[in-house]
Amino acid sequence: MILAVELAYWQLLVIKVLAVMVIVPTATAVIVQTFLFKMMAHMQSRLGPMEAGPHGALQLLADGAKFVQKELLAPERADRRVFFLAPVVVLLSTFLLFVVIPAGPNVVAEDLDIGIFFALAVSSISVLGILMAGWASANKYALMGGLRAAGQLIAYELPLVLAVVGVVIQSGELSLQGIVRAQAEGAIFGVGLIGQPFIFTQFIGFALFLVATQAELTQPPFDMPIAESELVAGYQVEYSGLQFLFFYLGEFGAAFAFSALAATMFLGGWYVPGLDVDGGLISNLVGPAVLFVKTMLVAFLIFWIRFTYPRLREDQLQTFAWKFLIPLALVNILATGVFKVLF
Amino acid sequence: MDQYLPIVVMFVLAVGFVVLSIVTSKLLAPGRPTPAKEAPYESGIVPTSEPARRFPVRFYLVAMIFIVFDIEIIFLFPWAVVHRELGAFGLWAIVAFIVPFFLSFLWEVAEGGLEWGPVSRSRPLTDEHRTTTSTVRLVGMDGREPSEPAVRDRPAEEKTNEKEEVVT
Amino acid sequence: MAAQNLVFAVLAVVAVLAALRVVTTRNVVHAALYLVAVLGSVGALYVLLAAEFLAAVQVLIYIGAIVVLFLFGIMLTRPTLGRESGLDNDQRWLAGITGLFLFGVLSYVLVEAFGDERLPRLEGLDREALTAERGTGAVGDAIFSTYLVPFEVVSVLLLAALVGAIVLARRE
Repeated sequence: MILAVELAYWQLLVIKVLAVMVIVPTATAVIVQTFLFKMMAHMQSRLGPMEAGPHGALQLLADGAKFVQKELLAPERADRRVFFLAPVVVLLSTFLLFVVIPAGPNVVAEDLDIGIFFALAVSSISVLGILMAGWASANKYALMGGLRAAGQLIAYELPLVLAVVGVVIQSGELSLQGIVRAQAEGAIFGVGLIGQPFIFTQFIGFALFLVATQAELTQPPFDMPIAESELVAGYQVEYSGLQFLFFYLGEFGAAFAFSALAATMFLGGWYVPGLDVDGGLISNLVGPAVLFVKTMLVAFLIFWIRFTYPRLREDQLQTFAWKFLIPLALVNILATGVFKVLF
Repeated sequence: MDQYLPIVVMFVLAVGFVVLSIVTSKLLAPGRPTPAKEAPYESGIVPTSEPARRFPVRFYLVAMIFIVFDIEIIFLFPWAVVHRELGAFGLWAIVAFIVPFFLSFLWEVAEGGLEWGPVSRSRPLTDEHRTTTSTVRLVGMDGREPSEPAVRDRPAEEKTNEKEEVVT
Repeated sequence: MAAQNLVFAVLAVVAVLAALRVVTTRNVVHAALYLVAVLGSVGALYVLLAAEFLAAVQVLIYIGAIVVLFLFGIMLTRPTLGRESGLDNDQRWLAGITGLFLFGVLSYVLVEAFGDERLPRLEGLDREALTAERGTGAVGDAIFSTYLVPFEVVSVLLLAALVGAIVLARRE
């Protein structure tokens, strides 16, 4: 690390973690502003928020200021402790996801050896928060929404994890830096011009990961848990003010994190041909920008699907996961394994 | 292990962030709860009964199968990491591990263990005695050839068959 | 080493206190949530032993799957809020004796199996040596050499669990 010479270990650590703390809300804001406010509006032939700032660019600041001033309410019969903790659990899960995502050879809070596996483990905690919210609200819509969400999240966690296995077979490493390096140093039919982004060999894995991500974020067309026409807002129905904002931050922060993970695993991460994989100031400066562009590309796909398809019914949703995605993912792993071992 | 220090710091800072923002909100936001605000929000309808206490057992089945699958998948990761050193032997070992399990999963799907939604009734939607000839009264047919209704029956009958296939 | 001992002490105390709350709380959902604290502390202990893959598995399986199954079961059958009275019975003494007996058996087995053996020292190792020693690759090597037969038996066990789940669910 170039700057690390003068800084003690713990100073660097605090700086890195604080940077992540700033990045999470910023990334969420970028996602919401770009896709939810503007892209969705233009796809539906309307303008979206326009009043606050130029072209509505400051709308989120206004929203944030509004949310902070809203009264925090809990239903009379709610279990207040669990009710309060639930959004915190969801938020924690999102924050921890960002720790392992590398944006340059040294621009990462911590490159764990089990990187991607850690991300999967941490993201599975959010189910807990959603079940807690659904139960503690003492509201029948909330309970039903919580149960639906949990049933959906666990059903789609399997294809998510299985899609990752294919990438790990190719890279032979769980560390996200290692996965980026494997793609940068790979070659397509012996031509190492652009490295080998795993999307070429793991296209099925990429598609599975995107679909499963969509469901993990409870976004349309997989939004049965918060289906507003029947459950009002599902497990979020009793939350107000900042606590509601926490759920929002958790959801769209996770949308950014999962897009970044997909970009890292399938599109080569922060690496583009010409950069030095092993370090260097230029890689560290350009890397974050490259990763950001790729992440937004993946996020665009996710939100495009979100705005296009109508909601799936609960049974269609479960059938799709169990009878189509999971068998497909297993076949993909088997095919990848056979190819890697035999050739 | 010091790799995990950032995780701990992150954990602490995230909790701090939550506490700080809640405190800010408490200072800025009004705190005037009323019975109406504290009532469960059920689209303006005052809840008269307790929340439903019985849910389909299918949900629980999904959770159980999920655990079994999850454990199965966990074992794929160590293999994926070392598969280069293990070569064909590792592939056979993992295939032997996955295949019996996957076959039983297929058996379960075939048995209808993961069928969702209402059980489709085997009752045909139409009665074979009720056709267009028996239900539709043709007017203005006096003096015409009687073969015409028979021709019109055909498509109706085919439709009936199709429906039955879908249902059963 | 002192720092590690301190962290171990904190985690152990958290785990034991949370475990006590699991059995003393009068609210089933709270019990399940205290269980999360217990399992999370145990997961952190694995990290302390440099078994990070195992720690992540602990989070993914125990917190993300098994506790979720518990909560599912509770919420599907008795989604009442607040305290419940029917959670206690008069078999405390029996339970205590069983617990002590189990503790005795486990302690005996551990002492008998490992005795004076000491854990390999970790602090002298750098990161790469540690990964080679304890990393995911090491887990994979162990599974596919020493523990190959148990590994394949696990597959049969999981199959039995799957069939059992289906049979249970089909008896409605």
